[in-house]
Amino acid sequence: MGVIRDAASQATDLGWLMGVMTVVFLGVFVGWAIWAFMPSRRAAMEAAANLPLEGDES
Amino acid sequence: MKTDSPNYDDAIVRKFAGVTVLWAAVGMLVGVIIALQLAWWPANLGLPWTTFGRLRPLHTNAVIFAFAGNALFAGIYWSMQRLLKVRMFNDTLSAIHFWGWQFIIVLAAVTLPLGLTAGKEYAELIWPIDILIALVWVAFAVNFFGTIAVRKVSHLYVSIWFYMSMIITITMLHVTNSLALPVSALKAYSIFPGMTDALVQWWYGHNAVGFLLTTPFLGLMYYFLPRASGRPVYSYRLSIIHFWALVFLYIWAGPHHLLYSALPDWAQTLGMVFSVMLIAPSWGGMLNGLLTLRGAWDRLRTDPILKFFVVGVTFYGMSTFEGPMMSIRAVNSLSHYTDWTIGHVHSGALGWVGMVTFGMLYWLFPRAWHKKLYSEDLATAHFWLATIGIVLYVVAMWVAGVTQGLMWRDVNADGLLEYPNFVDTVTRLLPFYWIRVIGGLMYLVGVLIMAFNFIKTANGTTDANLEVANG
Repeated sequence: MGVIRDAASQATDLGWLMGVMTVVFLGVFVGWAIWAFMPSRRAAMEAAANLPLEGDES
Repeated sequence: MKTDSPNYDDAIVRKFAGVTVLWAAVGMLVGVIIALQLAWWPANLGLPWTTFGRLRPLHTNAVIFAFAGNALFAGIYWSMQRLLKVRMFNDTLSAIHFWGWQFIIVLAAVTLPLGLTAGKEYAELIWPIDILIALVWVAFAVNFFGTIAVRKVSHLYVSIWFYMSMIITITMLHVTNSLALPVSALKAYSIFPGMTDALVQWWYGHNAVGFLLTTPFLGLMYYFLPRASGRPVYSYRLSIIHFWALVFLYIWAGPHHLLYSALPDWAQTLGMVFSVMLIAPSWGGMLNGLLTLRGAWDRLRTDPILKFFVVGVTFYGMSTFEGPMMSIRAVNSLSHYTDWTIGHVHSGALGWVGMVTFGMLYWLFPRAWHKKLYSEDLATAHFWLATIGIVLYVVAMWVAGVTQGLMWRDVNADGLLEYPNFVDTVTRLLPFYWIRVIGGLMYLVGVLIMAFNFIKTANGTTDANLEVANG
């Protein structure tokens, strides 16, 4: 029984996966923030921000 | 006389906006009735159809899916056509969406008082209606993504992303949580067992708040607040971070409804931690909304539309601070099952969803009907009635909830419960229940004033100057 329990506990020990996911998600967040705040994207962002103010008739 | 632009379908916007006001009045009237029942029980009339247990789901379904739902659809149909500079993909799908949704609401209004329920909070409707909801929702989704496919503006403005998150997530939540084995035309059993069923239910329940009452309303805020104030959003970059951080964190927060339950501890902790983290994107969004008004704060004195938006966004900030706090185990042990939760929900529902909807409607009605608003004074009166009504409601429920929680956990010197009789807590809360009735009634009267204002607006004279105001 002990052998089976040990094998089961090892199979469900996914701590390493949580660690990897935390790093990946943090990386995605930081990368996304850098993308959004890149100086070269400033003009495009300002143009996008003005989309609602372009009036009702196309 | 000014008429609709042939480029856009505004008839569908008028339909959704009109029924929003109707269902607001109905849903909130039922809310006031059940609030009265809690303060004065004979108001249940002694009839099974009008007891609290049957009218409460009618109230929640009416305000969430009929009032807030139709308000969202009105705002989405108006804004997405203009942001993408294209007419809705298919007018038939728009009509199926409108009439299908209203038919579902009528079915809910018939089945819930009859006691026909699936027994899941905010998902009470029985399985045949669940299937109908899925079909109508798919018609809306096809219309929405079809419009995106034929758009004439390549950039998808942030509001569109918020709307998209609603359509995708609500499909996933509704279908999963409604999975059931029918045993008759009116009765089905959930396919999930025990605790798993509870977890799926609150994964659904909390994200219905997140992806029906929060993200799409933020989409409306990002479109209608710039329109109403005439200035672009404070930081478009922040809005992008706001969106992705919010949708990523929200979906994990459901287990905070199951603290101290049979749910495994790690899952409870996960729900709690993600709920606390949610404060960051929520407040980023709130500040982005409020700072949009930088340099235009003086207009708050005169413009009722901006008043509604500012109070709405402020309540968003307050309830997204309170929510994470209540999801912390120690606080939850006091707040859970008490009226504090009801107060929290209503600061979000009346304060955020309601006020942003009213602000949007006061801006939208004159433009969609090409008429001048009948009375700005009545709009301002509505604003003050609603604001004071919310404060009365929420403060009464805070006091009631904390009183209730403290009385339940109070023990005497022998370690026995100080108030073993539940009725002792109920009688202590009666004054606060009356204050809630008054607050809710003020909010309802405000909505009736708005309905009167809109009827007079729609029947009024055409306003040629509005073209200029349309900007």
